[in-house]
Amino acid sequence: MPRVTVSVRDSSGQSATARADYTVAAPVLGGYYLGGNADPTADMAGGAFRSLTQYRSFADGHIFPGYNRPWLTTLGRSGVRLNMVLELKHYGVPDTGPQTFTVDGVSYTVPAPAMTIQQRPGTVWPKAYGYGQVLAGQCDGLFARALSQYRTMGFGVNVQLASELDTDHEFGTTEAGKSYTWAESDARAVQAVTYIVNWFRAKALPQGATFSVGLGGFDRPAFQRTHPESLMSRLDFLQWNVYATSPGHTALDRFRRTKDWAVADLGPVALSRPVIIAEWGVRVAEIPDQAAWIATVPPAIARINAERGPLIARMNYFNSGWGTLSPKAAGLAALRAAYARPPFG
Amino acid sequence: MAAPTVTASLNATTYAPGAQMLLTVNYGDPDNKVLTVTVVVTDAQGNSSAPAKVSAVIDPLTITVTDDSGRTWSRVSDNGAVAVYRAVA
Repeated sequence: MPRVTVSVRDSSGQSATARADYTVAAPVLGGYYLGGNADPTADMAGGAFRSLTQYRSFADGHIFPGYNRPWLTTLGRSGVRLNMVLELKHYGVPDTGPQTFTVDGVSYTVPAPAMTIQQRPGTVWPKAYGYGQVLAGQCDGLFARALSQYRTMGFGVNVQLASELDTDHEFGTTEAGKSYTWAESDARAVQAVTYIVNWFRAKALPQGATFSVGLGGFDRPAFQRTHPESLMSRLDFLQWNVYATSPGHTALDRFRRTKDWAVADLGPVALSRPVIIAEWGVRVAEIPDQAAWIATVPPAIARINAERGPLIARMNYFNSGWGTLSPKAAGLAALRAAYARPPFG
Repeated sequence: MAAPTVTASLNATTYAPGAQMLLTVNYGDPDNKVLTVTVVVTDAQGNSSAPAKVSAVIDPLTITVTDDSGRTWSRVSDNGAVAVYRAVA
């Protein structure tokens, strides 16, 4: 920790000294996500992209590195820090029935997913492995399969459990015919995430393996409910996502919103953890000049990180959905320019 | 002779790389007095000039700022009791 020393001295040689210690944080890692979990290598070339988000379902038989995704291993070995979002949400396989498969010589049968999430009225509710199923040990085979593939990668990643629990639970959940409110779903998810993290941590993991829980971060009570100290003691990062979707949204306001809630509501263990912004983006419909908005991000992050509370450590631009860069070339140029400035590096 | 006093405080404890850091130094010395000298010039005819005043600090304090990380701290302001220094993280 650097120390600055101040001495005052008079002509007779009498003096007094005061000291102040400070910390200079590590550079923030600027990162990326390309829609469809697509190969981002070409987009990242020539820029200080040091971080990447990927999404996989535990239902998918190819989690690490993913089906036809050898480039993920290449990027990881070259030092890009991977945030692997692993979801109980069911996708990546043709049907939602039970699965039987063999991992390292052990046969597992995993039942069909019994929960629905994202129960927005008027939409088809996605299926997910239930928190009750996880706690009953019925999903252990999924975790064993993921871990076996993880070990072949040769490096540690951050495993973010769930993409956005608040999005998943906003309209309640249903498991095995029983309905749960948003708050009840959060409480059940905390138990299930604790189970999964404990399951992985009890095994031999690649060096540098870390864990976090996924939140959009748009609802203050949900953010507090999903970050009890008992769970945070097992996790390495805080995480939330950031989008600008209104002409009045500033980078400073958008990036600090969830941090301010965290600082006010969470305990010391949670606040000791750095932050991964797994997704950030600017929606072109409301903010046509995405590049200009992106240019305001470095000073905003520098200011937020200079204030009390957890440090934003990594942040991955979400070039998909709300964050789709249009025109892409101008957006990528703005990202490269932003990531070349402090506090990135 | 009394010993001088000093305190030092930074505007944050953690800085992003490249961020501006501000250091506020409060200092003083009980012996450190500002003396005002008033000069009046009088000629042979007894005509006197208007009094002219100058101030002088007796035994001024010297401030030294060092940083064990090698950063250079530049003085932004100093009013004799509070000095502000700036460096880049």
